[in-house]
Amino acid sequence: MVNPVLLIAVPLGLAFMVPLIDSASRKLTRFVPVAALLFNLILCIRLIPAVLENPIVINLGGFTPPFGINLFVGPLGLLFAGLISLAGLVVSIYSLSYIKNGPVVKYHMLYMLLLTGATGVVLTGDLFNLFVFFEILCISSYALVAYHGDRAGIESSIKYLIQGTVGSGLLLIGIGFIYGIFGTLNMADIAMKIATVEQSTLFVPMILMVAGLGVESAIFPLNAWLPDAHSSAPSSISAILSGIAIEVGLYAVARIVFTVFGISDIYLFFAFLGILTLLIGEMCAFAQSNIKRMLAYSSIGQIGLILFALALATNNTVTGGLFQLVNHTFSKGLLFLSAGYMIYRSGSMEISSLNGMGKRMPLTSLAFTVGAFSLVGLPPFAGFPGKFLIVSGALLKGEMVINILVGLVLLSTVIEGTYFFRVIQALYFKDGNGEQRKQAPATAVTAMIALMILIVALGVYPKFLADFLSSASSDLLDKMSYVGSVLK
Amino acid sequence: MTGMEILLLVAFGGVMLTYILGRISSSLRNTFAVVLSLVLVVIIALMYDKTGETIFYRGFFGIPMVLRINSLSWIFAMTISFIGCLSVIFSLDYMKVKERTSFFYAMLLLVNSSMMGIVLAGDLLTLFIFWEIMSWSTFLLISYNGGPAIAAGMKYIVMSFAGSMAMLAGIISIFTAFGTLQISEIAAGMSSASSGFKIFIVIVFGIAFGVKNAIWPFHAWLPQAHAEAPSPFSAVLSGVLIKMGVFGFILTMYVVVGLGTYMSLGGAIFSVRSILLVMGAITILVPTFVALLQDDAKKLLAWSTIAQAGYIMLGIAYGTSLSMAGGVLHFLSHVVFKSLLFMTVGAVEFRTGGIRDLNSLGGLIKKMPFAFTGTLIGVCGLIGVPLTNGFVSKWLIYKSLIFGSPLLTFVALFGTWGTVLYSYKLIHNIFLGQLPEKLKDVENTPLSMKLPMIILSFTVLLFGILPGLPLRVINKIVVSLGFDSLNISLWGIVSESGMLNMINLFAAILAGLIAVWLFLRIGARTIPVKQDDNYAAGAAVPRDRYNYTVKFYDPLLRMISPYLRDIFDTFYMKIADLTGYLSNGIRKIYTGYVGNYVMYIVLFISLMIFVQMKWSPW
Repeated sequence: MVNPVLLIAVPLGLAFMVPLIDSASRKLTRFVPVAALLFNLILCIRLIPAVLENPIVINLGGFTPPFGINLFVGPLGLLFAGLISLAGLVVSIYSLSYIKNGPVVKYHMLYMLLLTGATGVVLTGDLFNLFVFFEILCISSYALVAYHGDRAGIESSIKYLIQGTVGSGLLLIGIGFIYGIFGTLNMADIAMKIATVEQSTLFVPMILMVAGLGVESAIFPLNAWLPDAHSSAPSSISAILSGIAIEVGLYAVARIVFTVFGISDIYLFFAFLGILTLLIGEMCAFAQSNIKRMLAYSSIGQIGLILFALALATNNTVTGGLFQLVNHTFSKGLLFLSAGYMIYRSGSMEISSLNGMGKRMPLTSLAFTVGAFSLVGLPPFAGFPGKFLIVSGALLKGEMVINILVGLVLLSTVIEGTYFFRVIQALYFKDGNGEQRKQAPATAVTAMIALMILIVALGVYPKFLADFLSSASSDLLDKMSYVGSVLK
Repeated sequence: MTGMEILLLVAFGGVMLTYILGRISSSLRNTFAVVLSLVLVVIIALMYDKTGETIFYRGFFGIPMVLRINSLSWIFAMTISFIGCLSVIFSLDYMKVKERTSFFYAMLLLVNSSMMGIVLAGDLLTLFIFWEIMSWSTFLLISYNGGPAIAAGMKYIVMSFAGSMAMLAGIISIFTAFGTLQISEIAAGMSSASSGFKIFIVIVFGIAFGVKNAIWPFHAWLPQAHAEAPSPFSAVLSGVLIKMGVFGFILTMYVVVGLGTYMSLGGAIFSVRSILLVMGAITILVPTFVALLQDDAKKLLAWSTIAQAGYIMLGIAYGTSLSMAGGVLHFLSHVVFKSLLFMTVGAVEFRTGGIRDLNSLGGLIKKMPFAFTGTLIGVCGLIGVPLTNGFVSKWLIYKSLIFGSPLLTFVALFGTWGTVLYSYKLIHNIFLGQLPEKLKDVENTPLSMKLPMIILSFTVLLFGILPGLPLRVINKIVVSLGFDSLNISLWGIVSESGMLNMINLFAAILAGLIAVWLFLRIGARTIPVKQDDNYAAGAAVPRDRYNYTVKFYDPLLRMISPYLRDIFDTFYMKIADLTGYLSNGIRKIYTGYVGNYVMYIVLFISLMIFVQMKWSPW
C-alpha cells in the first residue's frame, strides 16, 4: 500500500525545490506544480478502495497516539485531499499560460505550499499540527493575494493578514485552553475525554477555536477579508482561495465541532449562522457591479449554505453539503478561471465591460455559463443534486424552524440566480465593442473544459460520488468510530 | 428501449447535432432541423393510444426516474412536436438575416425536447429536471434579440425561477412524506394526507404552474417576453410553452390530489376550486381589455394569450367532464390559432423590416394576402366564430358554466366581446385601411412562412368542422382523470346541457354564403376603387396625410385605461427595487476599514461568551 504521508511530503519537498529547479532550467519551473499535483491525485485515487474499507491511521515517528502526531486518512480527509489535488491540478494547468509576468518562481512555490497546508489540515489528527498546517495555508495565501504588487493587492493582502492573524491568535488561545484542560492535543484523545469535563467549561475554548477557524472559512461576521482578497488576487489564486482555502477552513470547523467537541446543543445555532451567512453573501453579491467581487460574495453565500447543511447533522444533509462543496469547488473555480481571461481581455472587472464577450470568447463564455448554472443549481449540472439532497435532508427532519430556514435557502437561490443570469445576459445578448474573436490560450481552455466535463458528469450521474460522500459524512458524524480507529 | 426513450434520445441528441452541423454548413443544419422535427412528429404519432410506464434511469441517487405515456401526455407531446416542427420551418426564412442562428435552432429544439420530457415524465423529479432545462433555455431564447429583450428575459427567468423553487419545495415535501416521487404512487399516498398538506401542495404547485401559465396575478412576465422573443419562438412560447402550466394544473389537481379531493378541498367560501375559478375569471377580464390598449401587435397578442389562458383555467378548474373537455380543447384551439397569429404577425414584421407598431402599419391586404387570410382565420378562431375550433371549445366552456355559475359565464362572454374588439383592431390596423407610402414595396410572404400558416389555418377549420377528431382523444383524458365519459360523434357532442352538431351548422353557413354570393352575382356590378381612395365628403384627401389606424378606439380606451393599471407588475418591480435597495444597505457592513473588521471578530466572540454566561443556552 502507498503511504499517505507522501500526499504532504511530495508537494512540500518540491515546493522548496522550485528555486533550485528554476536555476537549472527556466522552462521546467511551471511544470513542477502540475507534476506534484498529478502525483497527489493519482495517489488519492489509489487510496480510495483501502480507505473505504478502513480509515488509515499513520503514526508519525512511530509514537502511538495519544503521544505522537498521527495522520487520519478517512473518507472525508481523502475526499478533501483528492479535491485539493484535482482543483490544484486544473488550476496549475491554467496557470501555465496565465502566470507569465512577475515573480513566477515565488508564485509556484507559494502555490504548492498553500496546497500542502490545505492537505495537511484535512489529514492531520492533531490539534497543534492542524494549527501549523493552517498557518502554512494562510501565510502563503496572504502573499499570493499581493502577487500583482499593485496598490489594491497589497492593501487587501494586509487587511487579510491582520484579520487572519487575529483569527490564528484566537485559534492558538483555544488550543492552549484545551491543552490546559486535557493535557493532550490528539483529537481522538480529546474527543474521548470530552464527556469527563463539564460542558460549560468547554464553551470558551470551543468558541475561540471556531471563531479563529471561522475567519478563514468565511463565516459571517468573520469574513470581511474575503471580498477584497478574492477580487484583487490573480484569478487562478481566487479560484483556489474560493474553491479550496475557505472550504478547508470549513472542514476544520466541522471536524472540531462534530468530532472533537460533539456538543449537539449548538448545532442549530450553526444552522442559523449558515443561513445568515448565505443571505448576506447573496444579497451583497446582488449589489455588486464588479465581477470578481460578485463571485467572492457568492462564495460567502455558498459557504453559508454548506455550513447550514453540515449543521443539520444528518447523513442526508451532510452528504448534500459535501456534494455542494464539491460542486462549489468546481463551479466557482470554473467561474473564476473563465472570468480571469475575460477580465484580461477587456481590461476591467466591471460587469458592463464584459458585454458581448459571447462573441469574442465563445468557449470562455460557455464555461462561465456552465459554472453559473451549476452554482445556481439548475439541472443537468452538478449543483442540482447537491441542492436536492440538502433540501430533502432538511425537510426530512420535519421541524418547523428548519422548514422556514429551507424556505430562506430557496429564496436566496432566487437572488443568486438573478445576479448570475444578469451576467450571462451581458455576455451573450448585450452588444460590446466589436473586437475580434480571440480564444483563451490552449492550457486555459483545457483546464476549463476539464471542469465543465466534471460538472456535467456529476450533474448527470450524481450516484458516482454519492456512495463515497455518504461514507465521508458518516466519517464526520460518527465520533465513536473515529476515536476507535485512532486509539486502537 | 421503449418508444419514449428513443424519442427523448432522438430529441436531445438532435439538439447537439444541430449545433455541431451549424458550424459546418447552415443549409445542412436547416435541413437536419426540419427532418429532425418531422421525425419527432412521426414518432409521437406512432405512440397514439399507447399507455405504459418505464424506469429509464437510476443514476440520480438511485431514485427511479420514470417515463410514462397516456392520452394526456400524448396530446401534449403531439402538440409540442407539431408546433415545434412548424416553427422550425417558419424560422428558415425568418432567421436568415440574423446572427448566431445555430444557437437559435439548437435552443429552439432544446425547448421542444425538454417540453416533451415534461409531459412524458412519470415522476416529479424527471418533471422538475426537464422543467428547469426548459426554463433556462427559454430564458436564453427570450433574451436572444438583445435591447429591450434583456429586461423581458430577466423578468421571465426571475419569476419562473421563483416558481420552480416553490415547486421544488413541494416536490421534496412529497418525497419526504411518501418516500416516492412516482406520480402513480403519489396519488395513493395523497389520499391519506392531511388537508393542510394537500393545500400546501396545491399552493406551491399552483405558484409554479401559475407563473408558467401566466394566470393573474403571476402574468407580469408574459407580455414583454412574448413581444421581444423572435417571432417563431413567440409562436412556441404562446402556443405550447405556457401550456405546460395547464398540463401541470391538470396533473396536480386531478392526478396528484385527485378529482374527489380537489372538488372539496378547502373551506366553503375559500375553497381551492372557487379561488382558482376567480383567478381564471380575472385572468380573462383584465388582460382582454389591456390587450385593447396595446399598440404593439405582438404585445396585443401576448395579452390576448393571458386572457385565453383564463378560459382554459375556467374550464379545467370547474371540474365537470364537459368543462374539462372544453378546457383541454380550448388549449388545443389556442395553440393552433395563437401560433398562427404570431406567425402572420411575424411575417409582417419580417417583410416590413421589423415594424410591429399598429399605428404605422395598414393596408397590407394586397401585398400579403396569405398573411391576411391566416390572420383572418386565426382571429375568427380567437373570437370563436362558428366553423372554427375556438367556437367549439368556447361553446363547451359556456355550456358547462351556464347553469352552475351564471356570473362566470357572463365574465367569459364579456371577455369575448373585448376579444372581438382587439381582434378587429389587430386585423384592421395591419391589413385594412390605407397603405402607408413607405410600405408600398412590401413583398409577399415567403414560402417557408406560408407553409406553416396554411397548415395551421387548415387545422383551425378542420377542428372547427369536425370537432370529434380532437374530442375523441380528449374524451379518453377526461375518463382517465375520473370524469364521466362524453357522448361524442365526429360532428359534435351531445350532453345534458345541449347538443352541438357542426355539420348542420356547416351546411347552414354554406347555404347562407351561397345565397349571398348569388345575390351579389345577380345584383349591380361593383366598382373597384383604389386602396387609398377614401370617402372624405367630396374633398380630396392627400396621400399619407391621414392614417385611419392611428388611435384606434381612442374614446373607449380613455374611458377604461384608468381601471387597468397593472398593480401586480408594479408590485413585483417594487419588490425587485426593494431587494436592490436592501442589498445595497447590507453591503455597507463591509466598510473597507480593517479596524471595523477586527472589531466584528472580537464582538462576535464577546457576544457569544456573554450570551453563554448570561443565559447559558448551551
